[in-house]
Amino acid sequence: MEYLEFKISCKEEFIEILIAELAEVGFDSFLEKEDGLEAYIQEDQFDRVAFQEVLDKYISMANISVEEGRMEKVNWNTEWEKNYDPIAVGEEVYVRASFHAPKEGVKHEIVINPKMSFGTGHHATTYLMLTHLLNLPHHGKRVIDIGAGTGILAILSHKLGAATVEAFDIDDWCVDNGNENFELNGMSHVKMGLGTVREVNPQGQFDIVIANINKNVLLDEMEVYETLVKPGGYLLLSGFYDHDVIDIEASTASFGLSKIDQMVKDKWCAVVFKKK
Amino acid sequence: MAKEITGYLKLQVKGGQANPSPPVGPALGSKGLNIMEFCKQFNARTQEKMGTVLPVLITIYSDKSFDFVVKTPPAANLLIEAAKIKSGSAEPNRKKVGSVTWDQVKEIAEVKMPDLNAFKMDSAMKMIAGTARSMGITVSGKAPWEE
Repeated sequence: MEYLEFKISCKEEFIEILIAELAEVGFDSFLEKEDGLEAYIQEDQFDRVAFQEVLDKYISMANISVEEGRMEKVNWNTEWEKNYDPIAVGEEVYVRASFHAPKEGVKHEIVINPKMSFGTGHHATTYLMLTHLLNLPHHGKRVIDIGAGTGILAILSHKLGAATVEAFDIDDWCVDNGNENFELNGMSHVKMGLGTVREVNPQGQFDIVIANINKNVLLDEMEVYETLVKPGGYLLLSGFYDHDVIDIEASTASFGLSKIDQMVKDKWCAVVFKKK
Repeated sequence: MAKEITGYLKLQVKGGQANPSPPVGPALGSKGLNIMEFCKQFNARTQEKMGTVLPVLITIYSDKSFDFVVKTPPAANLLIEAAKIKSGSAEPNRKKVGSVTWDQVKEIAEVKMPDLNAFKMDSAMKMIAGTARSMGITVSGKAPWEE
């Protein structure tokens, strides 16, 4: 995937205006500089006519000059990823990258090379979800991880004895990365899928359904999650702050799911629901 | 001891929709910050303003940690939204010249007040009206202080 890059210099008072106008023609994020702004857009979403209309409207007033470039999508997170610490989750789980030394005597070692995907165990939501998983019966169970990122949660479910594990994500980078991580953890038989839960349309029901995404997505997709959980099965949700639990619970309750466990870390929350 | 600040980044990102694409990815990544951590936090904190472009000021520390403050939406974005409501424009991507009322300018000024320390309402409204003029948006009717 390629991005078009526009380095725009202009009078200071027009930076905000140009950003607002460009947001109307498909640009969704901007870097503000002292003498202008940087705007990027995926090549296939770019409308050059609309973009030029915006520039033409302000070009003389704002003293605009534009430098256009092109940028290939690469792993911009390499700087952080090449130098972070492994993390222990309780006594039993140790999450490390390939460049970290293995740790002796750990029951479940997970190797994650994240490559700009979410889920290294460092974020509170991942940490809490791993902890919840440790408390659930896995042997012989069917597990699905929705919005799987690096695949870390699916990997722990596999290591805890799940009979089958399915996982998918909307980001093609996560899918590639998830599959690499599955291989690193002896799960090359599992292939991460691409898409939202409605696009992937998983078949059958699961003993454990996992989703660490965000409040808006969880609320939107709750009706699907509910259908995926077997009677007596569990739904694990995270990706929201503790003050948002009330909204999540209102939604799960309307689908007949009851809360059985909740943990909070750094104001982030992870909740386990059970279906009757 | 307070952590040493090594720099700041000013981004504008749609609420609830931060992802590692440029400029977020390269801007944060080149400073050694964990992009994924920023996106998760930003999206959770701005989920109520899904899709609205929000300025965010990120403070970077020497240990590669960061924190950030989300500001109110820029006046220019709020003006575009207000002009659309008034004109009922069905062409959001084109033809943005329009008009807003002083009541709408006041509403925008009220939204912006938290970021305009100690500004009087009249001064804030004049500033918003100035931005509107630069954008070719006229403010219809008489200003409250002219009545």
